[in-house]
Amino acid sequence: MVVYAQEHVYLHPWDRVTAAVWRKFTDPASRTALSHVADVHTLHRRLDSDTGRLHAARSITVRSPPLPFILRRLLPSAAASPNGAALCHCVETSLVDAQRRAMDVVVRNVSLRGLIEVEERASYRPHPDRPDEWTQFRQETTIRCRPLAALAAVAEKVETRCAERFLQNSAKGREVVERICRYLEAESAGAAPSAV
Amino acid sequence: MVFGRSKSSSSATPSAPSKAAAACSELRAAYHECFNRWYADKFAKGLFQKDDCADHWHKYRACLEEHLEDKHLRQILLDAETSAFYARPEADPPSGQGATK
Repeated sequence: MVVYAQEHVYLHPWDRVTAAVWRKFTDPASRTALSHVADVHTLHRRLDSDTGRLHAARSITVRSPPLPFILRRLLPSAAASPNGAALCHCVETSLVDAQRRAMDVVVRNVSLRGLIEVEERASYRPHPDRPDEWTQFRQETTIRCRPLAALAAVAEKVETRCAERFLQNSAKGREVVERICRYLEAESAGAAPSAV
Repeated sequence: MVFGRSKSSSSATPSAPSKAAAACSELRAAYHECFNRWYADKFAKGLFQKDDCADHWHKYRACLEEHLEDKHLRQILLDAETSAFYARPEADPPSGQGATK
């Protein structure tokens, strides 16, 4: 099992950062940076209008890194792909509490769970030092390979490769969120007098 | 750098958009546009009493129900309304590794 923890401070207020997080996978300008993301759909949403809590689940279909040959043979979608990459479905569940200004996002893979389990938990909170200006981001990624005895050695390689890819993509995701934050900031500055 | 292998067009991998993506792309775009605006302008600023995008959502969801093929995702789409698991991200996974054998 591999666990990675990451932290980041966005120099933008919580409402802007979380708005950017929602746009991360659907923003057309982010397509190149997040080219591993093939498709995103909202599968569930629920607003509790009494408490100000918003629940949502989205599917995120990603291209896996090219897989070792032996695994390709086990996975029809990877076998069919010219470079040995498979399409994997992940589900992202989010809970946003508007009153507490808290956003929690969990991403888990639903494909290939017999081989690997990836879980990425992220939280966005107002930064304690400047709660109205900055946002504290924390993320923990857990990657666990299933002990398929015959494939244990291969599985370890996949675990490492997936972990590397996840870290690269986390960094890209942060860059994308930063960029969308700047865009939203400019937009709100330009539109401020006419807002509401 | 292995020679002798014709690696002519490795970057031409089709992006394999699902049928659901193709069939529902306009409804999805309309929903996202509504949601992004509502979230930034109202919900995140504490104005959460009214859901402005419910109509957009119902249309988009109906399209997904018709076109989504992957069985895992379909199940989540159909079960999510009643499933406590997918509605509660802060909860522990139902069958954690701590379970006794």
